[in-house]
Amino acid sequence: MKVQVINGPNLNLLGTREPEIYGYDTLADITARCQKLGDETGMEVSFLQSNYEGQIVTWIQEAIHKIDAIIINAGAYTHTSIAIHDALRAYTGFTVELHISNPHLREPFRHISYVSSAADAIVAGLGVQGYEHTITMLAKLRNCSTKLPSSAA
Amino acid sequence: MTIKHVLILNGPGLADPSDFDGNSYGDLYLRDIEKECLQVSQQLGLSTDFRQTEDEETLFRWIADDSKGADGLIINPVGSSRAASLNFEQCCSTIRSIAHLKIPVIEVHLENIFLPDSKIEKPIQIPEIEIGLISGLGLQGYGLAIQSLASKLKT
Repeated sequence: MKVQVINGPNLNLLGTREPEIYGYDTLADITARCQKLGDETGMEVSFLQSNYEGQIVTWIQEAIHKIDAIIINAGAYTHTSIAIHDALRAYTGFTVELHISNPHLREPFRHISYVSSAADAIVAGLGVQGYEHTITMLAKLRNCSTKLPSSAA
Repeated sequence: MTIKHVLILNGPGLADPSDFDGNSYGDLYLRDIEKECLQVSQQLGLSTDFRQTEDEETLFRWIADDSKGADGLIINPVGSSRAASLNFEQCCSTIRSIAHLKIPVIEVHLENIFLPDSKIEKPIQIPEIEIGLISGLGLQGYGLAIQSLASKLKT
């Protein structure tokens, strides 16, 4: 199973930008832990980050028919990008929208997400460990016979 | 080390599997969710108290009274979109009333509540409390919530 984790703007600053909200782990730390977890569970986990909206759209398009699941933290583009919404709608695999903090508990301009309605699932507010927990869950989904979000099968 | 205790509260709409829209969760019964929660929490060394009620007042009473003895709270306030009659404001204010306990709270929904056809309009919005949100992962959403609480409670 191939999982691609796509990170949007400012996530390259993880660990230094408002650590009281986003924690002290860097994106490299999270990447290393997730890839180790992928190795342990027999999944191919790749990590991408870009500050550019068009690059994110291109990555989603390239994942069509190639990647089984996308975990996307679109950062602030979550609240503005119809282009990312459209790309995710065209994507064929399972999509999890992820946020380190819970946007619904923050400023009202973060309460609207163009990603949520194009995603299968939302995981928010579990801290940076949300990435690892989501990958563990995807591994379990894959092995699970229970009827669940069907595109993950 | 004392065993950490997680309270898992489920509101109206989970008792009857026919409440679930479409075929996605048609065979997902409350006892399957409970079994999954028990299994995951046992693996992680947590104790759990799993409850469901069709009565919103009972749900609010559980939140207000029984969170006191818990180290973490998982709440699915409305089990299915057909049962979205829950008094949302009262649910939020009840959760706000336990802010002083400073226990981690995770809101779980089986379905993606942000899809246009969902009758559940919004998640819990209480800026004073750190609340995790998991929506659209079905049964596995509970396992993910328990896993997250286990690692939060360890540190």
